Amino acid sequence: MENRTKHLFLKPLCLGAGLCVAAAAQAQDDRPLIEPDVTPVPVTEALIDTENVEIGAFVGVINIEDFESSLLYGGKLTYHLSESFFFEAGVGFAKGGETSFEKLAGNVEVLTDSERDYSYYNINLGYNVLPGEAFLTENYAFNTNFYLIAGAGATDFAGDTRFTLNAGAGYQVLLTDSVAVHIGVRQHYYRIDVLGAEKTSMNTEVSTGLSVFF
Amino acid sequence: MPIAILMFLLFLPAQSWAGWLWGQSEDAEVQVQVTEPYVSWRTGPATGYPVFHTSEKGEWLTILQRKTSWIKVTDSRGREGWIAVSDIAQTVDATGNRVDLQVPDFDAFANRRVEAGLMMGEFDGAAVTAGYGGFWMTRNLSAELWASQILGSASEIRMVNANLVHQPFPDWRVSPFFTLGVGHIWVDPKATLARPEERDNSIGHAGLGIRAYITDRYFIRAEVKDYKVFTTRSTNEEATEWKIGLSIFF
Repeated sequence: MENRTKHLFLKPLCLGAGLCVAAAAQAQDDRPLIEPDVTPVPVTEALIDTENVEIGAFVGVINIEDFESSLLYGGKLTYHLSESFFFEAGVGFAKGGETSFEKLAGNVEVLTDSERDYSYYNINLGYNVLPGEAFLTENYAFNTNFYLIAGAGATDFAGDTRFTLNAGAGYQVLLTDSVAVHIGVRQHYYRIDVLGAEKTSMNTEVSTGLSVFF
Repeated sequence: MPIAILMFLLFLPAQSWAGWLWGQSEDAEVQVQVTEPYVSWRTGPATGYPVFHTSEKGEWLTILQRKTSWIKVTDSRGREGWIAVSDIAQTVDATGNRVDLQVPDFDAFANRRVEAGLMMGEFDGAAVTAGYGGFWMTRNLSAELWASQILGSASEIRMVNANLVHQPFPDWRVSPFFTLGVGHIWVDPKATLARPEERDNSIGHAGLGIRAYITDRYFIRAEVKDYKVFTTRSTNEEATEWKIGLSIFF
């Protein structure tokens, strides 16, 4: 008797529950449980922040042949063509000192004060030879690049503008993806005839700078 | 004055880090889904950096930025790394479409609209440095603007030119061209010369050259130009110039 009563109540209950589950399963199959409230964005070139241009300032020392070593400062604009090659345009400013002759002779001036203003511009092609990582701690590394660079431009010194070749190397440490520190040496070559016969003047530059990518 | 220019140039990209400075939120997230069996992650934007992780098919990546042909991505677990643009080109975005990112190739070169470059060479025995920009009106014809500086042992010459360039075979990888133009020249003799005399003249030129596509977005350009300097004296002067340089196109 007891069995029969159970059967009577359980049968509709099971049936009902089964129907409910089936109905729920049917409702679920084509609609997602949670509707996303964002509309899909098609990815295009314009949405991606491209950082191939680097702009920076540097300060250092330049040895102006026959005219002492002076403080040098300047700026540069770099365009990265690829992971290896880059174009760099730079300007630098310094002030030439006195020749040994002027110091020894006392009252002699080879150049006027304004002629001692030294400035250069150059356009160069650089090549990242050794891309690498510098490890600060076990888990933290800066990306680095050791690069070779050479180019040509002009130097304005001693009243004239002279064709100038330059070549050198640099080490770039990327503090973040957008900020980099540079250390570099550069040799500048030009022909000058201020002290009599024309000769090649070799000017060595050692500088350090900071740059940002945008 | 130079300091002022430097400061100005240095603050030019201020807008790129202003967001970081003021805590402004980034624009909509750019997400792509990997469709290749896997894509490799490198620690930096060059093939020289080591592969440290891979994403498999179906994974969603958020694009952070691009440097040359590398894209910085982050995944759902916050890892960050660089993957090649050519790998991203084989992914789909949230709309299900293939991501169409440009990897500059020879086709892009053949259909370029703008080109610019820097060249060096010799102008009548003196060193010349020049920069130019050109706009393509058709696939055969372009207009260019040039600025040159010529530094010789006796004088400094500045020169500007406007010219038309015709390339008969735009589909060739190494393609010759002809050019014709006019300009102006300023001659400034060296201070050490006995009697310096400044002068400026109109010039006309004709030339021929060659472009050779290398890879990516750049090509080599070399040219020879013959200049006629129109002087006020009874005879005109002539000068021959050759240059070689690297150009980029967009």
